[in-house]
Parts: sequence; C-alpha cells; structure tokens
Amino acid sequence: MNPIETLDALEGMTRDAVIDLLYRMADDELVIGHRDSEWTGLAPILEGDIAFSSMAQDEIGHAQAYYEMLHALGEPDPDTLAFTRKAREFRCASLVSLPKRDWAFSVMRQFLYDAAETVRLTALSSGTLVPLAQLATKLRGEEKYHLMHGRTWVLRLGRGTEESREKMQHALALAYPCALALFEPTEADEVLAQADICPREDQLRREWESAVAPVLEQAGLIVDPSLRPVNGGRVGRHSEALSQLIESLQLVHSIDPTAKW
Amino acid sequence: MDESDQREADTMTDTQWPVYEVFHQQARGEPHIHIGSIHATDPEMALLLAKEQYTRRQACVNLWVVPEGAITASSYEDDDIFQRGTDKSYRESWGYKTPKTVKVTDRPETKT
Repeated sequence: MNPIETLDALEGMTRDAVIDLLYRMADDELVIGHRDSEWTGLAPILEGDIAFSSMAQDEIGHAQAYYEMLHALGEPDPDTLAFTRKAREFRCASLVSLPKRDWAFSVMRQFLYDAAETVRLTALSSGTLVPLAQLATKLRGEEKYHLMHGRTWVLRLGRGTEESREKMQHALALAYPCALALFEPTEADEVLAQADICPREDQLRREWESAVAPVLEQAGLIVDPSLRPVNGGRVGRHSEALSQLIESLQLVHSIDPTAKW
Repeated sequence: MDESDQREADTMTDTQWPVYEVFHQQARGEPHIHIGSIHATDPEMALLLAKEQYTRRQACVNLWVVPEGAITASSYEDDDIFQRGTDKSYRESWGYKTPKTVKVTDRPETKT
C-alpha cells in the first residue's frame, strides 16, 4: 500500500474514516487527562501525585495534537472542539469518563488505558498515513513511561496486602468491560484497515488482551471471561458521568467564552 | 541546622516510604549528579517516581536511585580534615612555572 504523505491527500470515505478515528482518540485523551488531573493535590503520596499529574498533562497534550490534526482536516479549532461540544458529540469510550473512585481504580484504569494506547500507537506508527504515523512515533516515548507506571503500580498493589489485592480485583472487574469498549467496532474500521492506516478494532483488542493478561496474572488478579464491553461511546451514547465531567471542563469557557488563561 | 542534622530530623519524623537519593545525568558521558531525594517503596518505584519529580523540566538521559542508607557520609564536625595546613600549591598546575627553556607549541585548551 502506498504511503499517504499529507492530510490533504485524504479523500472521500478514507478521509471521513480518519476524522472518525481522530475524534475517538482525541476525546479519549482529553477525558482521561481530565479524570487523571482530578488527583492533583489528592494522590496518596506527593511523588505519586506529581507523576499522575504529569501524565494527565501528557494525555491532554496528545488530545491537543489530534485536535490540531482534525482542524487541519477542516474541523473546528482545538478550543472549540474541547470547550463547546455537548457530551453526546464526544466519541470517547466508557472507560475514560468513569469517575476516578479510589486510587486502586484510577491506577487500574490508567494501566488498561495506556496499554491500549500503546497498542494503537504502535500500529499507527507503521501505518500508511504519514503525518499520523509520525505523530504516533513521537508520542510513544511518553506512552512507554505511562505503561511502566501502570504496570509497576498494578503489580505492587495486586501483590501487596489482602486489602490492596481486594481493591485491585474490584477495580479490575469495574474497569475491564469499559476498557474493552476502547475497541468498539465502528463503520470506519474496514476503510482504515483496507488503507493500512489502522488495523481493525477487533485485531487491536486481541493485541491489547495479550499485552495486559500477563501483567494481571503476575499481579494475582483474575479477569472474568464472561465480561462484555460497555459499548456506545463511539456513537455518542454516554453515562451521566461524562455530562458532569464536560460541564466541569467547560465551566470557565461557558461563563466567559473570551476568557484567556 | 546543617544538612546532616536536617536529614536526621527528616528521618525521625518520617512516616512515609523509605528515602532514595536521586542522581541524574544530563548527557551520555557526563557524570551523574545528585539532584535530590524521593520516597518510594522499592528501587523500581523510586526510578519511576524520580523520573517525573526530577526530569519534568531538565534534560536527562539516565537516572540513578540509591537507598539513603547505602550512603556513608563524613561528619561536618570533622570538616577540618579537608582544610590544608600548609601550602599545597604544588598539587595544582598553577603552582608551577613553565621554564624558559621549554617552548610551548601546541597549548591544549584549558578547562575552566
């Protein structure tokens, strides 16, 4: 398959499919970045607080990069996309909008999410859409750290005390079905796979499952095989939790759209 | 309160995780330089947390973390051992004059 050197070279269904993919990725990043930032000042230990807050900034930076790419494809500018859309216009998966709950849940979510992001970025970086492949390659260093962070915490807490193991097992049961929804199939799948831009979601899901399984097993945590994905996010069906998050994220902008900060 | 007293005070009131001292290297081949300390459960966690604590703004290619207890330090009470009792300028290059009979042809650049 020939490489697609510029965004301008995208046409028709392929262009629409790339726009769909970028919205999914950008919205996941913005929303999880916002959720992770809710730990700023509150994490169990100062050092952990700084690391989690930094990762939140990384994710929001990734969102910005994808929104800019969308803008280059004729969509509204990044601020308009982040601060003026309604919750139902977001294309994020259910995993990222869930409330932060306790540290065990947030760490488990961060691990499952960043393992998925690593799988996707690795695939995109060898895809045919050159600007996206280049961006994916650039972001992989940060993602490598995020995955190290998630893995380290999951192993420590999974094998820590009886209480920490129980909390992690509970977190896994809650987060896993929503993490599966990161790979909700969409109409864009086939087009993106045909163009060698991004593999089908079911293929990415299998790669993700084989990436997270050994870590969870090593942590002594059990994935219930009957868990099914909590889909709907990719077509704008979200829980109330996302509406509340969007309201908080857009609060300043909604009071004063011309505010600069 | 000097540095060792401070460290003792920190340890005494410390209800947190063990302390690791952190050293960073800003470019390959450069020395690792002490930049601070961090609380962590174990060495791997210390590296993980030190990365965000100490490399958020500055360039870094490598980090070392060392358990605080692995460091043996001299005592400030004995800092007179570092003082020079007599002229030791013969240990310095500037303590020597170049004899007139020696012709300096290719002067290497001096490091400041």
